[in-house]
Amino acid sequence: MLRFAATEADGGHDLSRAAELTNDALLRQLYLRHALDEHRHARLFRDRGLTLLTECQNGEASWSRFEANWFSPGERGLDDLRVDKDPQDGLLAFLHLSEKAAARRFCIYQEVLVSDPMTQSVFRDVLKDEAFHMAYTYKQLARVSPRRHGWRLWQARLVRVWKAYLRLMVAVASVIGTALLLLQYFLLLPPFALLAKRGALKEPPGWWTRRPASSLKSQY
Amino acid sequence: MKILGISGHYHDSAAALVIDGLPRCAVQEERLSRKKGDAAFPLAAVEWCLETAGLEPEQLDAIVFYEKPLLKFERILTCALRSFPRSWKSFPSAMKRALGEKLWVKGTIASHLRVPSSRILFTQHHESHAAAAFLTAPTHEAAILTADGVGEWATTTTGHGVKRENGETRIELSREIRFPHSLGMLYSTFTAYLGFPVNEGEYKVMGLAAFGKPVMLDAVRQLIQPTSDGAFQLNLDFFEFHASATKSYSKRFVELFGPPRSPDSPIALHSPDGERFANIAASVQRVLEDVLVDLAGRLHRETGLSDLCLGGGVALNGCANARILRESGFEKVFVPPAPGDAGCALGAALWADRIFFKRPHREVPDHPFWGPVVEARELARVAREDGLSLEEVEDPAQFLTRVVDALIQGKIVGWMEGACEFGPRALGHRSIVAAPAPVAIRERLNRTIKYREEFRPFAPAVPIEVAARYFELPPGGERLSRFMSGVFPVRAEWRHRLAAVTHVDGTARVQAVDPEMAPRFHALLKAYGARTGVPVLLNTSFNLAGEPIVNRAVEGYSTFRRCGIDVLVSSPYLVSKTAAESSVPMLEAVG
Repeated sequence: MLRFAATEADGGHDLSRAAELTNDALLRQLYLRHALDEHRHARLFRDRGLTLLTECQNGEASWSRFEANWFSPGERGLDDLRVDKDPQDGLLAFLHLSEKAAARRFCIYQEVLVSDPMTQSVFRDVLKDEAFHMAYTYKQLARVSPRRHGWRLWQARLVRVWKAYLRLMVAVASVIGTALLLLQYFLLLPPFALLAKRGALKEPPGWWTRRPASSLKSQY
Repeated sequence: MKILGISGHYHDSAAALVIDGLPRCAVQEERLSRKKGDAAFPLAAVEWCLETAGLEPEQLDAIVFYEKPLLKFERILTCALRSFPRSWKSFPSAMKRALGEKLWVKGTIASHLRVPSSRILFTQHHESHAAAAFLTAPTHEAAILTADGVGEWATTTTGHGVKRENGETRIELSREIRFPHSLGMLYSTFTAYLGFPVNEGEYKVMGLAAFGKPVMLDAVRQLIQPTSDGAFQLNLDFFEFHASATKSYSKRFVELFGPPRSPDSPIALHSPDGERFANIAASVQRVLEDVLVDLAGRLHRETGLSDLCLGGGVALNGCANARILRESGFEKVFVPPAPGDAGCALGAALWADRIFFKRPHREVPDHPFWGPVVEARELARVAREDGLSLEEVEDPAQFLTRVVDALIQGKIVGWMEGACEFGPRALGHRSIVAAPAPVAIRERLNRTIKYREEFRPFAPAVPIEVAARYFELPPGGERLSRFMSGVFPVRAEWRHRLAAVTHVDGTARVQAVDPEMAPRFHALLKAYGARTGVPVLLNTSFNLAGEPIVNRAVEGYSTFRRCGIDVLVSSPYLVSKTAAESSVPMLEAVG
């Protein structure tokens, strides 16, 4: 829930930025309304999350241990929205798909949370707004790009897939990089670590006389 | 000579342009990218600076980065080695960050700006801080003290600067305290322990401290001890920041102070845990102040100078600054409007100009307004398009009267004028202003605009010539209050009339507004005072929680529409929300 709150709050910032950048008065109004909705959702999720955290005996430990949804945290983590760069219709297509995906997931959460009516009601509340967000983004996409809105939606879907692929590859590269660096750390560094530790023992505490400044051309 | 200064890659990136020895413009990347504390290479800020001055990159004589990347890398690597094998978790991420981007600053700058790499220079981090503090201050000779988390190796430096009549400038930083012994890291560790974001939540620790009692001084003093030569050292058994990328404090720290606060749980000040956290905040605040006062006092005795220039992120601690002024022996304390890393962009450029190129000193205009200028017509356009109530009042006196009317009615006003401030404080060009009483106005601001913790105070702004009437300012206090850098007691007889800006301990982080620096804002305070008898206004930064201070008119407008600000003004326009427009209207029909 807290991750949802963070994602919704981030979404709110992106939408307010979109409102600031657009020259279309109607879109500005809609984005601002949408931004307010996202902030309200963030509050709802956060409040419920905190209540659950308090109710949970070892709340903090279980929260920080592992996030099952690590690959797309907060449900929209696969998307890296770039409000400043995307064209108007591209942004609307992206928003429409994001809202649709989020609504689908929230719907599932709502259905499975029968044993927790309070949390269920949070999702129900949020879903009402998501329906509006889906509808307005689609309608405005059709208005802004009457001939190409279908293509824009497909383009946005492909971009989402591409971004998911990139994210996965970055994660894989990061794992490989970490493994290689750790290998070096344990195989190559120990003798240097010994020297560094011995050097540290010789360092006096307190003030150091500053070395004469090197040239500004030097990075060292 | 045209010199571009750049800071970045850690937090709060910025760019500043110095032409013929004077700042031409400066802006933090966050103000343009709209990402709070943006640490990315400040490309947008650089482009804006060049565009503002009408320059192409090849016309620059030098581009100065604010620290030395290889020296910094040496420190990161050495610290990883010294804490082997405990550093195994942080080593990969530290190396990836350094090798991925931070080490190649020269190449990054050369490729972005397409300038020969021979024109790219590097100052040391604390030299940049020292230059930002000393070269912008209206003083000819001063002691210099810089303190922050860490630069390359140094965390604290002392020295002194001279501007001679022939224009020659010298800054000598003679001594330094080295990482991991750092006042900034000490405070940041407590910031993390108290559940606030590091590099952002330090203000919260200071605000929270006023609610507590320093009853844990002995415990905090186990963490930081004086050395025989008058410096200090941290007891590293209590810290992890030097060996870990994610954790600041050790198990022993938790054994000493109890369980840390979860970032997600609210602080209930009257609960046992709330009191404990407030007491811890008060204790670390007191220890920080004691150490700084001691350092500054020794520096005063050594140099015999009357002026002190303070730089580095620690200089944002207004309570400590006020105590330094009162107790260290210095008559004047100068803190620049951007003492943190963003200000290093300007400091690096000025250092290169005065020290490296040996250009004669020129007095730097004593104001913080180096950022983009607001375009009031843009505000008028969007307000008209959205059908909001828009008034155009050409006569300046009438305009102020209309704003004061709104303030007297208890309305909250978004105030935008001129160039944006460089630095973290809103000093009258991008401010939210309101009446300084009653307390309810503070609660309303917290509830409907800032969405922040109840323990955080709001600051007052007052005309400099009457500041001492309302606040207990020691000699030199007006200077320290120029950029809101000091926290001083509100005079007891005025506290009830300044209830919204008086913190629980009876103090306020006051801004003494100089008419030469911010004439229109000063005139607003005078006009408000003429009508109410108290020329003091609550002044808080014009932003919502988690967002940077607004820059353009349309950003102010967007903020205005999303929160409880009643009136948005940018001379000569006033935009108001009527009851029906108090929030963005329902748009299901058009959606």
